[in-house]
Amino acid sequence: MLEARLNQAQDLKKAVDAIKDLVQDCNFDCNDSGIALQAMDNSHVALVSMMMKAEMFSPYRCDRNIALGVNLVSFTKVLRAAQNEDVLTLKAEDAPDSLNLVFENSNDRISEYDLKLMDIDQEHLGIPETEYAATISMPSAEFKRICTDLMAMSESVTIEANKDGVKFACSGDIGNGSVTLRSNTNVEKPELSIDIELTEPVSLTFSLKYLVNFCKAQPLSSSVRICLSNEVPLLVEYGLAGSSYLRFYLAPKIGDEE
Amino acid sequence: MARTRSKGGATTTSKNSKETSSTPANSKSRYVLPEESSNPPRIFILPKKATKEARIVSLLNPRYAKPTRYLVCPETGVYELTQIAAPKTTPRSWLIQYGGGEDGEKAQEAKLGNNTEFSVHITKGADLFVATPIDPVFLLLPAFIPSTSTSSESKSEKQSRLFVSSDDHLDTIQQSSPHQWEILRWGKIRQLFESRMAAICETAQAGDETMFRFSEDKLLAELLAKAQRMSENPLPKSMEDKFVTKALEAPVLGIKRAAVLQTETSVEEKQTEETATVSAAAESGASTPKETNSTESQTSGNSTATAPTSASDAAPELAPTITASPEVIRLQRLRIAFQFLSSSYIAAGYAATLRQKLSSTSLVDFAPLDAYLARLAQLRQEAAAARSVGDYTRKRDFDDEEVAARAEKKRRHDEEEKRKKAGESRGVRDLKKVNTSGMKKMSDFFKKK
Repeated sequence: MLEARLNQAQDLKKAVDAIKDLVQDCNFDCNDSGIALQAMDNSHVALVSMMMKAEMFSPYRCDRNIALGVNLVSFTKVLRAAQNEDVLTLKAEDAPDSLNLVFENSNDRISEYDLKLMDIDQEHLGIPETEYAATISMPSAEFKRICTDLMAMSESVTIEANKDGVKFACSGDIGNGSVTLRSNTNVEKPELSIDIELTEPVSLTFSLKYLVNFCKAQPLSSSVRICLSNEVPLLVEYGLAGSSYLRFYLAPKIGDEE
Repeated sequence: MARTRSKGGATTTSKNSKETSSTPANSKSRYVLPEESSNPPRIFILPKKATKEARIVSLLNPRYAKPTRYLVCPETGVYELTQIAAPKTTPRSWLIQYGGGEDGEKAQEAKLGNNTEFSVHITKGADLFVATPIDPVFLLLPAFIPSTSTSSESKSEKQSRLFVSSDDHLDTIQQSSPHQWEILRWGKIRQLFESRMAAICETAQAGDETMFRFSEDKLLAELLAKAQRMSENPLPKSMEDKFVTKALEAPVLGIKRAAVLQTETSVEEKQTEETATVSAAAESGASTPKETNSTESQTSGNSTATAPTSASDAAPELAPTITASPEVIRLQRLRIAFQFLSSSYIAAGYAATLRQKLSSTSLVDFAPLDAYLARLAQLRQEAAAARSVGDYTRKRDFDDEEVAARAEKKRRHDEEEKRKKAGESRGVRDLKKVNTSGMKKMSDFFKKK
């Protein structure tokens, strides 16, 4: 039996909104530590991993491990019925056929939905803790803007991090462009500061389409953490309340730079 | 030509009446059906010329080496019985009435049966037995042709090569042909048998007795003469259509379409059909003679009907590439007739030997037919090849069921696709178009748990 009450429906709404553009169906794995999700896109070059820890919810109860197989488009449809500020409660039985959602707003309006579940056969990948060569923290809006701007020029972007800063560069048919950021600290608004931690310079190329897709999670958090290392996937992490997170991994483009 | 009367009905009816009268009437129902007779009357069509002394006896079937019923008349010879059965899908019965009143003979017969109560009878099956004359040569054949199933193989083999009296020859099949001795004592039967034996044997006079030695060549000549007689006129329609007209029909090359896919394997086909028919008869054992199942003949009739129509679609302005000459048609008829005879009346193993002999014999020259068939096979091959390359009319070949199955499959496929699309967000759809070359799979970086 699962029962999880979320004070702000928007946390789940936005997360599902962001994931639904990357994967179609996936399992929400519920256990006593929280609700986790891991899924790859159709081409298996990107991976999304979400962890909503138990402390995000009040209360949180999950007696047994339950996998809630959900079609994310359908889930979005249901979640759209919830206001951002609604209190959202997820309920499911031990071997559920459907997921029960209750949205309560402050005006005592209670709406209740049941979402049919499906059996999804999914493989789980073990993701090791990695020491990245470069870790960049920046405002999520900034990252989104860079990606969408460069997307107009090219399909892929080269992210180059060195001691001078981080440079997003691209070149396409109509020309080329780049955005360079230097690390700076905003004392008044720490979420707007740019922080670059570097152990060694790296330069990697990624598909912009995928990055833009990741940026759909921007409303979840005001800042984003981008971690790069040679020969490993790029990590884009949006922090949620507490130590919960929404992470995207993307394989770098190797070889053909066109 | 033939008169209908029922045999055995009289005896069964009287027996039956006793049975029914002894059973106490059931009080629950006003009408009680009498118990089913264990030996119901059967309907026969018997030749008019057969005398009253004619009897049904068991003799050895030349093809299946099993005792089978034949009608033997001491004066006019032997008749084989053919059962005509209604197809199982459309059950029928006979309503039999004895002594209809006007017919004096029938009335008399009913009197003989000494029972007026059973003047009307309903049978379960609508089987009809037709007696047709059969050449006793065929009945004698088992005595000369060693069949693998008989234990006296070596003996008969030896005997067939020696000049032996007719009695000694017939002795070899004594065991399996129970009524043979009996009928040989009847009227002209013995005389008839011996004269027919002479037709397939070389004879020698030893005193006042005639001795016989089996001759394959004479048998072949005899069979061929029968086949020739049979092929003088067109064969029965279903046979003519299937094995002569269709087998010789040339593809119409004008529209690159093999009109008929039936190849010259028709010969084998025919044989399988024949065995099918007869295995049914064999199942019913010695009690029923060769059974002509009308279901089967119906279906084969249907299949023959379809092909010519499809061919005639194109016929008006496009003549087939080659046509069979009367000579070829005659030869094909002869061949089919011969095959029919040998597959009906001659043991399977020996029929093959005979066919071989036929191809090497000088009695008839099949060369024009063979040449025509070879040319035909080639034409058909060409037509089939031309057709498979780029034939837009191919669709016609699918029958309705197939078309329906296809449509269903397509519909289901479409539906599934639609559903899949509905469950797919725009983002996911867009990502499918992304060029992911040079990007490794996630499973290359992260190991499966």
